[in-house]
Amino acid sequence: MQESKLLKSGLLALVLVLSFIVGWELFWRNRGFQATFNDDKALWANSRKEAYRPQANATVFIGSSRIKFDLDIPTWEATTGEKAVQLSVVGTSPLTLLEELANDENFNGKVVTDITEVLFFPNNPVFHQSAKEAIDFYKNQTPSEKLSSQVNYALESKLAFLEERRFSLNALLNEVPLQNRPGVFAMPVFPKGFEWTTYDRQTFMSDMFLSDTNDINKQTGIWSMLLMGDPTPPPTGADLTQIFERVKTSVDKINNRGGKVIFIRTPSSGPLAEAEEKKYPRNAYWDKLLAHVKTEGIHYRDYASTKNLECPEWSHLAIKDAVIYTHELISILREKNWFAAKELALTTTTN
Amino acid sequence: MLFNSYSFVVFFIIMLALHSMNFPWKVKKVNLLIGSYIFYAAWNPPFILLLWLSTVVDFFVGKALYNENNKQKKRLLLVVSLIGNLGMLCFFKYGNFLLDNFVTLVNTIGIDYHPAKPSIILPAGISFYTFTTLCYTIDMYKKEGTPVKTLLDFSLFVTFFPHLVAGPIVRPHQLVPQFETPKQATRHQLVNGLFLLSLGLFMKVVMADTLLASPADSVFQAQNSLLPVDAWAGVLAFSGQIFFDFAGYSTCAIGAAMCLGFSLPENFKFPYAASGFSDFWRRWHITLSAWLRDYLYIPLGGNRKGPARTYVNLMLTMLLGGLWHGASWTFVVWGALHGVYLCVERLLQQRTITTGQPAVAVSRASFVPSFLAGKSINRFATALFVFLLVTIAWVFFRSTDFSTAWRLLSSMFGMDHNGAALLSTLDLVKVFLVTGALLATHWLLRDLSIENIIHRTNWKVLGVAWAVMLILLVVSQKSSNSFIYFQF
Repeated sequence: MQESKLLKSGLLALVLVLSFIVGWELFWRNRGFQATFNDDKALWANSRKEAYRPQANATVFIGSSRIKFDLDIPTWEATTGEKAVQLSVVGTSPLTLLEELANDENFNGKVVTDITEVLFFPNNPVFHQSAKEAIDFYKNQTPSEKLSSQVNYALESKLAFLEERRFSLNALLNEVPLQNRPGVFAMPVFPKGFEWTTYDRQTFMSDMFLSDTNDINKQTGIWSMLLMGDPTPPPTGADLTQIFERVKTSVDKINNRGGKVIFIRTPSSGPLAEAEEKKYPRNAYWDKLLAHVKTEGIHYRDYASTKNLECPEWSHLAIKDAVIYTHELISILREKNWFAAKELALTTTTN
Repeated sequence: MLFNSYSFVVFFIIMLALHSMNFPWKVKKVNLLIGSYIFYAAWNPPFILLLWLSTVVDFFVGKALYNENNKQKKRLLLVVSLIGNLGMLCFFKYGNFLLDNFVTLVNTIGIDYHPAKPSIILPAGISFYTFTTLCYTIDMYKKEGTPVKTLLDFSLFVTFFPHLVAGPIVRPHQLVPQFETPKQATRHQLVNGLFLLSLGLFMKVVMADTLLASPADSVFQAQNSLLPVDAWAGVLAFSGQIFFDFAGYSTCAIGAAMCLGFSLPENFKFPYAASGFSDFWRRWHITLSAWLRDYLYIPLGGNRKGPARTYVNLMLTMLLGGLWHGASWTFVVWGALHGVYLCVERLLQQRTITTGQPAVAVSRASFVPSFLAGKSINRFATALFVFLLVTIAWVFFRSTDFSTAWRLLSSMFGMDHNGAALLSTLDLVKVFLVTGALLATHWLLRDLSIENIIHRTNWKVLGVAWAVMLILLVVSQKSSNSFIYFQF
């Protein structure tokens, strides 16, 4: 009696759960959502192990979110024949990532470091937190976590609703319009269809976002609050020199092992670009950084082909412009002998 | 390996398939043992050596203890087992703590000593499997039970994956006999086990990790004083989180074992409906409470050596129980608070007995008006009072240091007038709704078991409830947060 009762309950639950999963997936698919990957520390760790490829076969990219949108990985890989290892972490300074690569004796590759001044220069621990968590996870990942990640990727590649930022219970609850008390900080909720992320961690804005003016305005408002609303003054004097020194130490370590580092500044637009320039004037930060570290840099405003690229929501390029930017970046890097190891390898093979 | 991971799903399906095949019983046990080692090694493979060492030493020492008649030799063997088990626990769990305290002590008396901090990793579940093996050798010393016949059965008793990492802490008589005869889950056991697994995962993933972890973490990590409502919300969130997390693990463990045809002891019984502190410890982490009672409190003399000694024994048991949870003085204070609660409760009970009134829980003897005596509202008030004091004790359990604990207590009781608002309105709503529902559920179900509840519920209602749990589990999308008790 009990056995058949519990079995009936179990079968009913199974039917309801399967119906829900099918219905939930179809519901979001019909609203234009597609399968995408959670851009989390496990996916970062998955890319991090690719950083040990020979210098002729890969370039590592570190930065904040901009280079994740602005580098089109298929274009890069098709044009250069190299793997693009995307290790940037959204909302963080790449300094922690640069130091981690520098302190890894087994790493001697090439690193493109994207600078977003409002995240790179302030000495705010919050801007290093996610990068530290990703590194810790990579270093301490258990065999069980590795297996779980592989199962997870197989499911995420097929099911649209398995995207934590958009469809998890907490994300759905966060959409409930409840007024917070004065003084309570709450992270703003990004437009639901803002971006997709691929397995190799490229991120790009969705068509549904780009075609919705309200969403674009909402996103520019969020950047205004997050990137332009930080009241802390930018570092100057000894504080700034200390940051330059940390960068130089890391760059020297990588160079001494035969690796290479170059800095890039990816495009930003509109009031955000103006506010960034006002708070972090190029001559006082970007130029001084390159001079102190004695390393080359590629600033988007220095090249006719990139200086007029427009970011729809002021901070990141749309995919069509990311393709243009990536082609231009490759050309500039080629002029700077970035692919010397690859070309040498090809010459040797041909001979 | 965590129960709330995809790797466990894969592992468990393979184990169920292997266990249902038509192999001889010995082969099935070997499969379970190898599976259990894989389950453990999936976290950190080298630590499996410690598990082997502990298993092999205690198997042979246990046998020798049982067969040895020379008292001195018996004592020597027991000391070998105690040193082996507790030594391992002390080194891995308390090594840093002991060194830190030693350094503080010698620095206080003026000796400038600053050794390099050793990097010791705590092997998962060491506190649990140490207690499992320890009770076996103590039982053999006292000739309570007979030695386990084969190393295979003993290894499986220690290592059986459902209970290995975070309990329930099993005794030899509860599990070893189940390995002696072939076991295959009936269809009822399999479905029941799957229900318990679903319930346990729902408690852990949805209630603990998704709804309560974030507000609790925010409040306990806050560097400044908070408004009382935020401080209380954070502490209540942790009260709920630790229950759902640990009871969720135990429920998963019992469910996983049941799917394979084995039975593990109950570990939680609606503890936040406890009508007193001794009742709380009969409902919270039942297998640890029973272990401490049988292998610490009673050997210390229990209540057989007069009132004063009883109180000392209670305090010692709770202090060591606190220290078992973690190598920090904050855990000791948590244990001490519970020791004080139990002592005061006992004192009040003794007084009511001597004055001829019925011996009941502490608050009934102290603050509930007499006209309400025996009414359910009185029992409910008692349970709330116990929950309140248990919640205050959790402040020390969760705080990383005493300054955090004091800051939080000051905020909770409005002693700091510069407190800031921290939690979002949504977080406050989540915490108060979930905690309220938790208390109501515990109160309403306090005299029932899960089995009773399943039995009483209409199959359609049960099916829908089961589906809701699974749907929320799928929607929560949290698959990798460790269980809090893994660190103990």
